[in-house]
Amino acid sequence: MEGIVLALLGVALAVGLSGIGSAIGVGLVGESAAGLVTEDPDKFGQTLLLQALPMTQGIYGLLTGLVIMINLGIFTGEVASLTVTEGLSMLMASLPVALVGFLSAIAQGRAAAAGIGLIAKRPEEMGKAITFAVMVETFAVFSVLVSLLLLLFM
Amino acid sequence: MPLVEIKKLYLLAHNEEREAILELLQRLGSVELVDLQESPEWAEIRVLLEPGQAGGAVSRLEANLGEVRYCLDFLQRYFPIRKNFIQQFTGSRLELTAQEYSDYIASAREIDAVYGACRKAEEDLTRIRNEETRYRSLLAELKPWIGFSLPLEEVIKSNCVSMDLVTIPLESYPALIESLKADAPDFYLEEFSTDKDLAYCLLIYMTDDSAVVSSLFKNAAANPVDFSHLTGTAADATLSVEQRLSALEQERSAVLAKVEALLEQRPLLMACFDYLDNERAKLEAFSNLACTQSSFLLKGWVPLPDLDELEKELRAQAETAVLVIRDPDENEAVPVLMANRGPVAAYEVVTRLYSVPRRDELDPTPFMAPFFFVFFGICMADVGYGIILSLLAFFISRKLKLAGMGKQLVDLLFWGGIASVVFGIVFGGYLGDFFGLAPLWFNPLEDPITMLIFCFSAGLFHIYFGMGIQAYRSIKAGKLLDALLDQGLWLVFLSSLILIALPQFSTPAKWVVIACAVLLVLTQGRKQKGLLKKFFSGLGSLYNITGYLSDVLSYSRLLALSLSTAVIATVINVMGKLMAGSLLGYLFMAIILTGGHFFNMLIGVLGAYVHTSRLQYIEFFGKFFEGGGRPFRPFRLTHKYIDVLKWNRGQ
Repeated sequence: MEGIVLALLGVALAVGLSGIGSAIGVGLVGESAAGLVTEDPDKFGQTLLLQALPMTQGIYGLLTGLVIMINLGIFTGEVASLTVTEGLSMLMASLPVALVGFLSAIAQGRAAAAGIGLIAKRPEEMGKAITFAVMVETFAVFSVLVSLLLLLFM
Repeated sequence: MPLVEIKKLYLLAHNEEREAILELLQRLGSVELVDLQESPEWAEIRVLLEPGQAGGAVSRLEANLGEVRYCLDFLQRYFPIRKNFIQQFTGSRLELTAQEYSDYIASAREIDAVYGACRKAEEDLTRIRNEETRYRSLLAELKPWIGFSLPLEEVIKSNCVSMDLVTIPLESYPALIESLKADAPDFYLEEFSTDKDLAYCLLIYMTDDSAVVSSLFKNAAANPVDFSHLTGTAADATLSVEQRLSALEQERSAVLAKVEALLEQRPLLMACFDYLDNERAKLEAFSNLACTQSSFLLKGWVPLPDLDELEKELRAQAETAVLVIRDPDENEAVPVLMANRGPVAAYEVVTRLYSVPRRDELDPTPFMAPFFFVFFGICMADVGYGIILSLLAFFISRKLKLAGMGKQLVDLLFWGGIASVVFGIVFGGYLGDFFGLAPLWFNPLEDPITMLIFCFSAGLFHIYFGMGIQAYRSIKAGKLLDALLDQGLWLVFLSSLILIALPQFSTPAKWVVIACAVLLVLTQGRKQKGLLKKFFSGLGSLYNITGYLSDVLSYSRLLALSLSTAVIATVINVMGKLMAGSLLGYLFMAIILTGGHFFNMLIGVLGAYVHTSRLQYIEFFGKFFEGGGRPFRPFRLTHKYIDVLKWNRGQ
């Protein structure tokens, strides 16, 4: 039964680390956005869109955590018994999204916060502000993809 | 899709018709004005011209506009018009019929009265606020002395005896008493209250000791308080100040009631603001013209499709006006106008958020639109979410009269919803697995590798298509060699690289790859000077293969996003079904399912829109589209606050 503890550690890392990253990222953008909205309350909608961008890493982490939980059978009430190796593999599978999600959300938050500055001066260039932030997310997408593929094929 | 052809326009007419012609141009909104003073012609024609234009009229209008803006801002501050979330993107405007609008303009004289009333109200409100602040601080000062029962006006200094109300810091309190006992022994000290720093005391002492006492106060950092302007005890004074405050509060609500009564003038203000603003724009347009004593010259750009209407209207308005149209020169900064019809028009917003094409480029919108539709659909891939999204977009566009990019964005989401339904059927997403319906093709959750290969293939096709467009552009520009070597060779090279993976083709493909690689090394450096430079530049170009590799890998985001939508939907269903059982359970289940699926849909739409756009911008546009054109900005009527309806109410 020790295997399940390792798998649960995987859930905790995937959801926890990427969640922390997203929280920091979304917070960073929120700080900048609040400054802009003081000057121009009508930009709330636009800034909210940018603020939502670093949120996805947290969702990817949640997604990975949920897939592990489904694999473990937690929702059906019949928790599978795992060997240490099986548990360890699930833990390993959770690491890409945990690590990349954590750091890329912060980096994306920075890029999006700078984007807030961009739309403060040139609101018509919002597409570019979003694109800069989305470039960062590419790597979070790759990491969640690898995590999911590892989980689905084990 | 070619861009709209734009012609250069010169208009020569008499000064008497100047205002009427500009009004016509503003109403038609089909001409972009060019400032003649910044044109090359200026040097030739300036000697003919009359200097000095009517600046007085503009500044008078500016002043009026300032008054209206002040009134609107003032009303907005106290009785704001709130915009909902969607209106923050689209703006919200008051709808008026043409008749109502002209009625408002006719009664523009009433603005002076409104302006006066707003000014007066603001002055009153400021005064009330200042007085309140003063009374509040007095109230705070009086509070510690409530227990002091002597009327405040009786705290006096006579020839023999002086009285002081004094605040003494607690830490110097004992020391002060000691010094008083030593230096001015005839005193009486009574303490009324203390807080955490200060003691509030009455001190009676001999007037002869005044100098000593005040120096002792100074040493102890004690402060005498002056209430000589108040009458009655501290409690009485507090009561009367409180009465004054409530009187002020009443006065304020009376003023605010007056302001609220002004609200019915808000439509008038809004209509007049837009009217005056357009008048000002018209007068300012004068500065773009070149005028002699009796005639003026106007220079501008006009889209070819609008030209006929412009000519017809101009004939009707001014018989003597001369209109000269010519094709733009090679090196002129021609503005760019895209013209897409039908569903494709919605996708113009995606191009526009990236950049407007240059005048010699193709409009990439029609090429990009089908890919955007498909990729958006793959990312969402849920029939339920698609229906909800389309319905939402449909009702938003029905309810809010949108124009320009706002309308395009909502239409884009509408088509995104349709795409999501299509791919929901293909991949079997019906609110996740809620209905347990089988997919038309396969379920990406069960077979992610097939899905991954599908995404890469779609991406490869997307990239090839982009390269194809670039090849077409090169051929059209007469650069057949560029098309063959820069796109054709790469297409063969990349395709045969992929074929190596298939056993039956691997041997011939290997030789094609080697041949292509050699050719690439030999030709890619052809624009460099010097043999060595040509060779190394060609060799370096093979490194571009990593660029194509990362482009293709980038399409794996389609799989990640569609899995993410599907898995979260599944989990919401599982959690919802866990609740089922009792009546309360079904209630919770309904809440979880509705809230969860709605949240998942919003996240899905955001991700689908953002990532699909990125695939167009980086992977697709990067192959053939540069952008950097100057968008066409016609001289036209603009409305900030109102919309003039083209029909009458009730029809």
